[in-house]
Amino acid sequence: MSAPIVSLRHVSVSFRGGWFRPAVEAVRNVSLDIASGETLGLVGESGSGKSTLGRVCLGLTAPTKGRLTFAGEAFGKLRARRGQLALVQQFPEWALNPRLRCGRSVEEPLVVLGAPARERRARVAAMLESVGLDAGYAERLPGELSGGQRQRVAIARALVTRPRFIVFDEAVSALDVSVQAQVLNLIGDLQAEHGFGALFISHDIAATRYVSHRIAVMKAGEIVEIGPRERFYGEPEHEYSRALLAAAL
Amino acid sequence: MSFLLQPVRAYAGLWRRDWLSAFGLALLVLLILLGALGPYLPIGDATRIAVGPRLSPPSWRFPFGTDELGRSFLPRVVLGIRATFLLSAAAVAMTACIGALLGMTAGYVRGAVDQIVARAADVLFSFPALLIGLLIAAAVGPGETSAIAVIAIATLPLFVRVVRSVTLTLSGRGFIVAAEVAGASPLRVMGLHILPNIGGAIVVQLTYALSIGMIIESALSFLGLGVQPPNASLGSLLRQGSAYLTFAPWLALSSGAVLSAAIMSVNLVGDAVRDALEPLEGRSLT
Amino acid sequence: MSALIEARGLTVAYESQGRRAIALDGADLTLGRDESLALVGESGSGKTTLGMAIGRLLPRQARREAGDLRIEGRSVFGAAEAELRALRRDKLGFVFQNPMTALDPTMRVGRQVALALGRGGGVRDLLARVELADADRVMRSFPHQLSGGMAQRVVIAMAIARQPLAVVADEPTASLDASVRDRVMATLSRLRAETKTSLVILSHDLRMVAHHARRVAVMYGGRPVEMGEVSRVLANPAHPYTRALLRADAGGRSPGARLEPIPGAPPVLGASATFCAFAPRCPMRQAPCDGTRPELRAVEGRLVACHFAEAALAEAEASR
Repeated sequence: MSAPIVSLRHVSVSFRGGWFRPAVEAVRNVSLDIASGETLGLVGESGSGKSTLGRVCLGLTAPTKGRLTFAGEAFGKLRARRGQLALVQQFPEWALNPRLRCGRSVEEPLVVLGAPARERRARVAAMLESVGLDAGYAERLPGELSGGQRQRVAIARALVTRPRFIVFDEAVSALDVSVQAQVLNLIGDLQAEHGFGALFISHDIAATRYVSHRIAVMKAGEIVEIGPRERFYGEPEHEYSRALLAAAL
Repeated sequence: MSFLLQPVRAYAGLWRRDWLSAFGLALLVLLILLGALGPYLPIGDATRIAVGPRLSPPSWRFPFGTDELGRSFLPRVVLGIRATFLLSAAAVAMTACIGALLGMTAGYVRGAVDQIVARAADVLFSFPALLIGLLIAAAVGPGETSAIAVIAIATLPLFVRVVRSVTLTLSGRGFIVAAEVAGASPLRVMGLHILPNIGGAIVVQLTYALSIGMIIESALSFLGLGVQPPNASLGSLLRQGSAYLTFAPWLALSSGAVLSAAIMSVNLVGDAVRDALEPLEGRSLT
Repeated sequence: MSALIEARGLTVAYESQGRRAIALDGADLTLGRDESLALVGESGSGKTTLGMAIGRLLPRQARREAGDLRIEGRSVFGAAEAELRALRRDKLGFVFQNPMTALDPTMRVGRQVALALGRGGGVRDLLARVELADADRVMRSFPHQLSGGMAQRVVIAMAIARQPLAVVADEPTASLDASVRDRVMATLSRLRAETKTSLVILSHDLRMVAHHARRVAVMYGGRPVEMGEVSRVLANPAHPYTRALLRADAGGRSPGARLEPIPGAPPVLGASATFCAFAPRCPMRQAPCDGTRPELRAVEGRLVACHFAEAALAEAEASR
């Protein structure tokens, strides 16, 4: 494990309330590091702030307090970080633009980056193959694919620019058991091959501990525990973590 | 344009099952063809005066009778169909483009732009179209231009609101956020990812707006503020005919019936398109 | 024991845009009184169709092609409109996945529960039975003002209001937070035992099923392929699909053990299967599997639809 690719120091995120509504503190004083080649699992319930934290790590939401550094430098503008970041979200039915062919969707981040056409085509074919889909899938429309297949195309798109950091936000929650297993294995294998840092956000502690190296437990905007995954196969330290584990298994 | 035609084509099979929609479509096609081919059909000259006795009732020679200047009324009604459709369609098409762009930008960019556009659309929406029509006609003078302007103002909020709403929903979807994370500019996201996916919503509103446009145009022309003689639209013909309602009712009846048929056919087709494009995707039931 | 609900050879197909997809392929099922049964399966297995068929709550495009489903001996598919409505109102209760869409968002909760109770009354007592403290506040609220867990308890209350013979729960806890899932399921199980109502749970969550159901039916290709007591089926599955499903499930693995996904994809049946629907993906596939359709038969205390169930069990025993 090398120097952290993403580093948060005392990050808080507050959303302004409207009229008659108090401000909401979604994230409170969170500090953590994610190294290259490491997956940090983030578990918690809905409303715990884990999705917001994911958005902060990608530069989509600016922290109200605290600092985010990426590869040792200040984050800067999202546009300037083109190609270094990627996101895979929960619902396979909306993961891909329904009007674009799969190959075109996977190619899109490369187009934004300005890569030449020949290189793009080669990369797209290679990526589809590495997620277990043969080259013919490039010509298909998302509507012709199953949920698991769409999610795999989304992963191919996420990896096509060889990003340094990927956020998986409930990426396997909507998938069947067997497909979930395939995708979890895929994430682990691709990370071993490409060495990206990853944040795996989920409410499913069983899936999270399978794919992560370390796990952080979040409650009401705060991290209550963070530790190696082995701990979550046995007995976690914090009582909230224990409760989550007990409820799931 | 394929993103507009594709959804409609894909559901063409529905016409066969639903006779009311099929009837509406047939009627609409018939009227459009009449309007388009009117000048070339052997039904008489719409502008030549004194081809027959004035205000004569329908007969073989003059299927819709003659008007107060002795013109055969049938070709004038056909001319009216043409004018009504063309005017409304042109106004609505233009408004759809502007409204869609405004709505999409407001819905995606949010912030101040959204506030201004959304509030302006709400204000516009709350004004009765006919009142605006009177104001504009008074300012600009009656005629086709003011009719187009009124239709545009009345239907613009429709498109802005619907497209804005669809854009808001789309903005949270996985593929949009993924594009943003990949570094795509807002213009690129709107053009490549949002625009092709709002086609369905626009198509549905188009038919609805067209029907509104036709009613507005007819109302304005009926009041004398729209199409001016010697041009004719169904509304102005109705105006013309209503002056002679008691002793030459066929003028008002024929133009009124054709106007009703035209609006009804647009509404029926609009309903069918709406039903066809209603989201049929649900979760799998097994 | 006379069966409360019985399905025999039930085949249901969906017609959409000229294509026919079989959702249930000759499904057999029995549910007795005072019994809890879980229908487990992935998407496309037919579990939702079977669960909804109990109340004939199928969409317009669904057509029953063969077989029947009987409740207390009376055919559900042959029933007239009025009889069907009475059945749904008085004999059955339903709990759906998302409480926010199951409840009327414009009506206060108290009024909705009162409507479900009919003339009986007793809203407060009913809410207390589903462990909703502060019943008055809940009654005054609109559904969106309640948390997911509370709203689902309201739905459960409405489902049991008229003391139905059976409650069908379709993924009742899938939309709820992990920490409340167990508690809501516990409430449902407790009520079931108290009122001796039968319960059919549709779920893909094997662990939840293991805790809260006594019997389980594993569905694949539109019918149950293994049925029996949970303790037996999940601890020592006989059908190769059940075995594969358990191996692919992320829960209960020790650190370092790799999940084994099932190769291939679930079948989309265009016609009734005359062979074993799982054969293309089965590690134990042999000649008879592609030619003869396996029917449910008793093997070691449960029902299995597999030609080689005994061999599968023996193999598992050997590797212990």
